[in-house]
Amino acid sequence: MTDQKKLCAEIFRLAGRVRAEVIMESSESALTRFADNVISQNVAETSTRVSIRFTDKGRVFRTSLNQTGGAALADAVRRGLAALKLQKKEKGLLSPPAPRPVGPAAARLYAPGTASLEPSFRAEKAADLARLCRARGMKCYGTVENGASRLTVANNSGVFASHRETWALYSVTARKGEGYGWAEQYSPDASKIDYAGVNARAMEKAAASVRPVPVPPGKYTVILEPAAVGDMLLFLGYSGLGGRAWLDGRSFASGALGKRLLHPSITVTDDALAGPAAGAPFDLEGMPRKRVVLIDKGVARAVVHDRRTAAEAGVPSTGHSLPQPNSCGPMPLNLEMAPGDSSLEEMIRSTRRGILVTTFHYTNLLRPKTVEMTGMTRNGTFLVENGRVTKALRNLRFTQSVVEAFGNVEALSRERELMNGWGRMCVPAMKIRDFNFSSATGF
Amino acid sequence: MFGFCEEAMDVLSSRRADFGDIRIVRNRTQALGVRNGGTGNVDDSETLGFGVRVLLGGAWGFASSGLLTRAEVRRVSLLAVKIARASATLMERRVKLAPEPAWRDLWQTPFIKDPFTVPVEKKFRTLFEADRLMRRDRRIKSAAASMRFVREHQWHATTEGSRIEQVLLSSGADCRATAVDGAQVQERGYPCSHGGQTLAMGYELIDQLDLPGHAEKTAAEAVALLKAPDCPSGEMDLITYGNQLALQIHESVGHASELDRVLGYEESYAGSSFATTEKLGKFRYGSPIVNLVADATLPGGLATAGYDDDGVKAQRWHIVKDGILSGYMTNREFAPRIGLGRSQGSCRADGFANIPITRICNLSLMPGSAGSMDDLVRSTKRGIIMENNKSWSIDQRRLNFQFGCEIGWLVENGKVKKMVRNPTYQGITPRFWGSCDAICGPGEWRLWGVANCGKGQPGQTAMMCHASSPARFRGVKVGVKAG
Repeated sequence: MTDQKKLCAEIFRLAGRVRAEVIMESSESALTRFADNVISQNVAETSTRVSIRFTDKGRVFRTSLNQTGGAALADAVRRGLAALKLQKKEKGLLSPPAPRPVGPAAARLYAPGTASLEPSFRAEKAADLARLCRARGMKCYGTVENGASRLTVANNSGVFASHRETWALYSVTARKGEGYGWAEQYSPDASKIDYAGVNARAMEKAAASVRPVPVPPGKYTVILEPAAVGDMLLFLGYSGLGGRAWLDGRSFASGALGKRLLHPSITVTDDALAGPAAGAPFDLEGMPRKRVVLIDKGVARAVVHDRRTAAEAGVPSTGHSLPQPNSCGPMPLNLEMAPGDSSLEEMIRSTRRGILVTTFHYTNLLRPKTVEMTGMTRNGTFLVENGRVTKALRNLRFTQSVVEAFGNVEALSRERELMNGWGRMCVPAMKIRDFNFSSATGF
Repeated sequence: MFGFCEEAMDVLSSRRADFGDIRIVRNRTQALGVRNGGTGNVDDSETLGFGVRVLLGGAWGFASSGLLTRAEVRRVSLLAVKIARASATLMERRVKLAPEPAWRDLWQTPFIKDPFTVPVEKKFRTLFEADRLMRRDRRIKSAAASMRFVREHQWHATTEGSRIEQVLLSSGADCRATAVDGAQVQERGYPCSHGGQTLAMGYELIDQLDLPGHAEKTAAEAVALLKAPDCPSGEMDLITYGNQLALQIHESVGHASELDRVLGYEESYAGSSFATTEKLGKFRYGSPIVNLVADATLPGGLATAGYDDDGVKAQRWHIVKDGILSGYMTNREFAPRIGLGRSQGSCRADGFANIPITRICNLSLMPGSAGSMDDLVRSTKRGIIMENNKSWSIDQRRLNFQFGCEIGWLVENGKVKKMVRNPTYQGITPRFWGSCDAICGPGEWRLWGVANCGKGQPGQTAMMCHASSPARFRGVKVGVKAG
């Protein structure tokens, strides 16, 4: 990793009297991808990226680069400062903030062994799975990934916040004829990943979904596994739980804080500090992230803010800034949905007729106020009849409001799964009534 | 830069690689945006780095770094070799590349006005003016305008002897108004959605787009949509064009014809394709008037270059000819698997840090004989015109899709009757293209950029264009609603 503190000091020296803020990300990552029971791509990347925000007398400019050597850095700073002088002055433009105490990150987010896994480790994991799949007449597809990163946010008013973490991801799609199965596990520590368990889950689903049959589109009770719930929560979060959308009146929660909008079993928290979806304890201005209860027993309680939207709303910032300035506003990036008291098995047992969904595919937002979404089912869709999984189904398209769906919840699971993607999320499985499938596809 | 390349070539040759290459890429990107009278986004970015790819014992390895020194080139080249050796432990057949001559060439995107020489303050003046003009109605809660410029300078060397230098340039801009009234939120963008129109051109594109000249109409339409009736539900004719038809081409033909997907190599993530290889030359993809041509030589195209990142010279070929599936997007690895003696040249990487993968080339719907847009409307009894994509979704084999657009207009008895809001449509790819009964002529043919196409693991972004004239599709399911 680059010596980030030294680099920041050099940037501040070059910036002189101008207010400067540095966001620096360094990472080493590797990914082995397999398809058709062979390794198809195998890559490694070393990268550093430095982004500098200059502000001076109501003017702002940002310059970014990945070369941290003397000449390139000096050129970038010089170019940035020259452009800054020509910017339009803005009333109320926020300069980089003064320092505030940032708590420690959850210790479990960095596992030294995970950063340095060899290509042979990843190849062996893929080979173990390929052997199992060949023996069962299956094909496997997926990735074995690991990496380490450091994020530093600093400014020449005294902010210096730095966070490092490691990650490992094992993702498997198994195919047997027309049957598909999927399982995935993310962890900051590769040694905590249950590679055999992921293999077994994906292969079991593929074997169970070999001969999918069609069902007509319409309203069904659905049992969504955590990955599918996560997809819906992602859209609810980014379209409705950020301060900018809320202030603009585009959020489902605009003008509705304090009102019950979802089922009483739904509690959603953004917690970067200690929860299961923890991450960097500071935002991209170096401000401390706060734990925010967004939905409490179905009642909309809060949205996340950066300093800009907090000032407009007349509330304190919650420490959820993206790089400033930006148009989209603050975002919740460490979402956690409280568990319920059921299990996937109990949800199936209690269902007279419904559809079990492993994952969704290619989801997208149609209407922000109701968080109406569309997308496909994927990787194992099953019919549940009289408390048992009876058939594999061909995939269906859903067109459904998340607000309505999360109002029609019948059960949540005790077990939750951690997902890493656009932010981090920890969610349970969910049973929902009257979920709308708008059309079907041919497989 | 080719001096650094030779360091990698030495390492790879000494390890007896079947094939190896290095791509050094210097990227300059300028992204500017305003929102509601303030700076929305401003970033002037420059990156430099290299990626080394090696085929050793029939298996691939790839590594990259942003530190460009001879010692680092050597370290990364050796890491790529080590990774290739790990790949070789799980393979069923040796990768053999389709042959390609060794090229020594310099190629550059033609442009009139270098966007990086236009002062940033001038660009912001244009953006702030568009933003101001959009905010005249109190129901406009968000007005935004943006510009983006990318120059990518590449040096590509292969162990086969190619030494290719290319400078690729693109420019893009848009303005966007969001109107809110109670439970209604409506957006309208000019000239299109998803970051606006982007083409392989210089600043002359921004001059042509004239954002301030279109800002008031854009905002007025967003406000008008608040009170417009919902798009009717049912089956009727669909007329679409612009960036909506571009995205229809992109999602239902472009991705479906990527040969790596077709062969199952994207199954774990983006999915596969219904357009499997036994259908080549036989499968009816669309009606006989449907001709879709891939073209890496198309002027203004975002995938236009002298060579792809396999070092294959730019080509033009049919994907769908007279309605029949006739070709695929290929790289040098997979082209031989369908009997091609040479790759079509559609393999590209996102920057220096990613391995080249099969990508959609510029892919265009060729013009038809239905005359002008007015002629097309006049010949339509009942239908919906839909413009500017708002949402998109398609299944993992590229069959079942749903698109939503910013705005629609109801057509009855050959006349545009009224604006409708929240227009959506669904379809199944070959049935949809099979229902295409009219395509306007060459006078309406326009190029639209897709500047944010995601694919691969790790995720990569690529740019390409899709040109088309307005087209009509019969009996399409429109007005899809949530329950």
